[in-house]
Amino acid sequence: MKTENQKAWFFVLPVLLLVAFNALVPIMTVVNYSVQETFGDNLFFWQGLDWFQQLLNSERFYAALGRQFLFTGIILAIEVPLGILIALSMPRKGIWVPVCLVLMALPMLIPWNVVGAMWNIFALPKIGMLGYFLNDVLGVPYDMTQNPLAAWITIIVMDVWHWTSLVVLLSYAGLVSISDAYYQAARIDGASRWSVFRYIELPKMKSVLTIAILLRFMDSFNIYTEPFVLTGGGPGNSTTLLSIDLVKIALGQFDLGPAAAMSLIYFAITLLVSWVFYSLMTKDDAK
Amino acid sequence: MNRVLPLFLLLPAGASAQGWGNVSKPVEEKGFSWTDPLWPDFWMAWTPATFALFCAIFGAMAILTVLEVMRPGGDERRGALGLVTTRGDRLFISLLGAAWIFIVWMALIGMPLWWPVGIAVAWGVFCFWKV
Repeated sequence: MKTENQKAWFFVLPVLLLVAFNALVPIMTVVNYSVQETFGDNLFFWQGLDWFQQLLNSERFYAALGRQFLFTGIILAIEVPLGILIALSMPRKGIWVPVCLVLMALPMLIPWNVVGAMWNIFALPKIGMLGYFLNDVLGVPYDMTQNPLAAWITIIVMDVWHWTSLVVLLSYAGLVSISDAYYQAARIDGASRWSVFRYIELPKMKSVLTIAILLRFMDSFNIYTEPFVLTGGGPGNSTTLLSIDLVKIALGQFDLGPAAAMSLIYFAITLLVSWVFYSLMTKDDAK
Repeated sequence: MNRVLPLFLLLPAGASAQGWGNVSKPVEEKGFSWTDPLWPDFWMAWTPATFALFCAIFGAMAILTVLEVMRPGGDERRGALGLVTTRGDRLFISLLGAAWIFIVWMALIGMPLWWPVGIAVAWGVFCFWKV
């Protein structure tokens, strides 16, 4: 018979309290805001589901949503394979292991707004090293403040620079946990490098990769600080991702009702995608 | 004239019955409304409607907790979607599904929302029955 120790719940209580105040109370407030209109001064007027309907029929929202999915799709398509590749080529033993690990961890230690500011200065034409090199040395016209494509490339490269390390470190953790016996068996069978990866390394990395992709999806889908500091959503609206648009509505226009409705739909999308992905990946684990 | 005089005597009675003495004091409406602010001086902007929604969600979670204490194990099974679910998973799936039924309906069709209410209830029943 299974022993159940209910004492564990008491140890979880502080975390529950913390979550209640930093997640539950705010989201309940957002739900309340989403069906009301306010002009400040704590005065609220019932609006029903008007904000939701307005939002779900607004081109501005779908444009931002489209940009958001495009951004997340591109960075996942780059960071996950690149992260696995780097993890595979990192040494498993010897003095270079800690060096590689520290180098990999460095970008993640930098605060998000500093990353945005760094890349802004780095990429500005005439002033920044990258901007100057591309424009004046190589002669490639590159101006992320004027050209939407240049702005997109810059935010994507910045995100890849900042977050590929997370995929690398998680994949590496999965890789080093594979025991040598598997590789020896593969060598005896004369397996090719690709077969070793496909049938030994990838299945063993599945759970950490699931977590890595989930984390990267959620983080990149909710990204705000870095593109805000780097491009401010411009030029025009070309890099106005969902969160940047949300902050514009909530703080720029002080439309708390529409912003709350948008937050809830935003939350529903993140929740649905994460849940579907996680369910699909872990579907066969519980057999 | 003698016949009319008693009628004048009745006038003040009629006037007070109609509340003429209270003209300067508007009568406050005390009727309950689901959509008025619930606690106007508090900061979370509650209305009875949204309060009821959260009561329903937390109530459902409380029922699940009681069920879990009575019959531990979460009634785990592999359902129609091929997923292994417990009671809590089924509640989560029905709530998330209900939210999406409303979002998709509002995006594609609009008001009124009686149809999605029916679909969401049916989805919830399906979740607890088969998923």
